[in-house]
Amino acid sequence: MKRIIFYIILTLFLFNNNIYSQSDELVNVCALDIGNSTYLKDFKVKLQQSSVKPSPSTKFSVILNKGTIYQLNICDAAGYEGKAVMKLFDHSKLLGSNKKSDGTLMRAFGFQCQKTGVYNIAVSFKNGKQGAAVAILSFMNVK
Amino acid sequence: MFRKLFYLIIICLVVASCNNTSNSDDNIGEDIEIPDSIFDDKPLMISEEAMEDIIENISSPVEMAALLKETGVPFSKKYLCDVKRIDKLNTNFKRALNLGILGSDLGYLNMYDKTGSVMNSMSSIKTLSDELKIGQFFDFATIKRLAVNHENLDSLMYISVSSFNNMDSYLRETNRSDISSLIVVGMWIEGMYFSTQVAKVVPNSKIVERIGEQKLILNDILLILKNYQSDKHFYELVKDVEKIKKSYKDVKITYTVGEPQSKEINGMLVIIPNDESHVEISNEQLINITNIIEEVRNKLINL
Repeated sequence: MKRIIFYIILTLFLFNNNIYSQSDELVNVCALDIGNSTYLKDFKVKLQQSSVKPSPSTKFSVILNKGTIYQLNICDAAGYEGKAVMKLFDHSKLLGSNKKSDGTLMRAFGFQCQKTGVYNIAVSFKNGKQGAAVAILSFMNVK
Repeated sequence: MFRKLFYLIIICLVVASCNNTSNSDDNIGEDIEIPDSIFDDKPLMISEEAMEDIIENISSPVEMAALLKETGVPFSKKYLCDVKRIDKLNTNFKRALNLGILGSDLGYLNMYDKTGSVMNSMSSIKTLSDELKIGQFFDFATIKRLAVNHENLDSLMYISVSSFNNMDSYLRETNRSDISSLIVVGMWIEGMYFSTQVAKVVPNSKIVERIGEQKLILNDILLILKNYQSDKHFYELVKDVEKIKKSYKDVKITYTVGEPQSKEINGMLVIIPNDESHVEISNEQLINITNIIEEVRNKLINL
């Protein structure tokens, strides 16, 4: 009996750890996408499927500095149907998104900050599908 | 008997699993140390959630270091904190503040590709983070390999910055925001020290403007520190930051509104909102800020 219990504990422990290392792994993989930019922060998002409109989102606030060109990358986790939509706001004013007007999603977009202050990054999943993603904030090194 | 035990274990593990889902993305141990006499039963002035937002909103020292490098200011070792005294720090308050200061130094060294000095800085960071029970977030072996072989400097920067980010998240998730706030404040003060010292020699307008913009951050810093000011060390720190805030009293920040545009930079669509902030800061104000930052920073590194 002790042996069975040990295996149950071990399996669940590994299962748990696997979940968390997956999100860290995704950060590492997504960081490869930023090219010559310098990594600043990452934001992990996981949302359940929802029929609510607009689709639920997770918000993060960041301070962005005047004179810096920031890059926002987004990477979807494998095994989920949801495709991440990332939006950048100055208070309630939408500044940019990875979603183009034709509905297609870009992996990244840039933002040339002209006003130092607090900005918000909101991540949701297209059509309210269940999804997990990692957003990475970096700054471009422009020569 | 077996069935009852089996269900009990399953319930325990499911509960543990749920806790992990909501709180952590890290597979690290639960080695928590109660900080020095900081916690009391008084409620926080602001929620942990609000604290997290505020802490996130204090910009990275790497950005300040990048600005210094971008403006052509050469690297100088004299701005760095002396790591010899790190072993003498005997409270978590001192360790956390100095860990932040060293974190800022590390960003500066990385930005200028000074990999030789990175290892000196890293070994002090290791000492302090181990003492604060957060050493598990630094992959010292990889950092050492990258630094010693002078290879893949982007990775070195990435690992250094993400280690600090993960450590900060962990501290807040485990209700050690007091330590987290000290690290962040230490980083900010050291970043300010670099920029004000550089501006003394090279009064570049971009650097001076960035110094002036920090007025926006000061209220947030005070807000988080005041949460813990029932502790005498925090109380002293609050007084120091208030002194810095006072030196910013007459710095003015104004805004203009513009039409948004977009263009392609490095092959990427970049949005330019064209709303702009402007900083008015006189030489006299800058000198005053520089002197006070120097005084506070030197006090912190000699605690």
